Amino acid sequence: MKLEELRKIRERAEADLRLRGGPTRVKIVVGMGTSGIAAGARATLRAILDEVARRNLRDVTVTQTGEKGLAAQEPIVEVHEPERITIYGEVDEALARRIVAEHVVNGRPLAERVVAVREVKG
Amino acid sequence: MIADLAMHLADLVQNSLRAGARSIGISLARRGDSLLLEVVDDGAGIPEDLLSRVTDPFFSTKPGARVGLGLPLLVQTAEATGGECRVEGREGGGTRVWARLGWDHPDRPPLGDLPGTLVPLLATHPEVEFTVELRDDRAAWTLSTRELREHLGEVPLTHPDVLAFVERELEEGLAHVGLKEER
Repeated sequence: MKLEELRKIRERAEADLRLRGGPTRVKIVVGMGTSGIAAGARATLRAILDEVARRNLRDVTVTQTGEKGLAAQEPIVEVHEPERITIYGEVDEALARRIVAEHVVNGRPLAERVVAVREVKG
Repeated sequence: MIADLAMHLADLVQNSLRAGARSIGISLARRGDSLLLEVVDDGAGIPEDLLSRVTDPFFSTKPGARVGLGLPLLVQTAEATGGECRVEGREGGGTRVWARLGWDHPDRPPLGDLPGTLVPLLATHPEVEFTVELRDDRAAWTLSTRELREHLGEVPLTHPDVLAFVERELEEGLAHVGLKEER
């Protein structure tokens, strides 16, 4: 392993985190079981990680989960906000990028391919 | 359908994660004319009476799941290339899935995009320790997320520079042990 390179990455990233620290505002969960992986969930997950990184969204975390019984609509992407959870289905790379840009950044959920919206009771 | 071996591995890792594993070992080895593939975890394990059925295409433990084709497909892929696939419980809990495929067999699926498939999975599960081991008759290469995290401190594996770094490392590892293919 190129430890010197890793050390530099850490130094840069830590300096960045100090500048922009703060709590998590949005959690994005990508569902990818067998069918999701076959349906392109890895491209979806990569697109979301890439978009979040490119836009430097420090208050967004990205995680991944297995199948959720929605196999026919995979890849599934869930956007968890304090007040609601929005679930999108059949999310390809392009839609994944729009979810980040329009929903997560601009706060305007997309109208298309929404499988469910769950209000979170406070 | 599962088109390459990277997807098969991702599917096995997904099974381990679903079983609540905290430690997952992924290994890929080229030995003579065989390609050996293994995923070992410390998850909940598979009860003895179900072990013989997990490779049955019509059997799944996931409630609501219509298909549980991951393991049966791997069995099919392994056998189609003159190899075999075994699913075993481990002493003290956990599961070991092991498959042997014929490397030069025309029906062997390509390796696929291993870095692009595995690295996002590894990075998005900070609660799990992953090791990736690649080897052939001459060389061996290992990656451990625990070691990466020790060097990274608070910086997550999902950081873009880290993701790119780990993918490059894995790419080099594959080349180092003769698992890089032009197909």
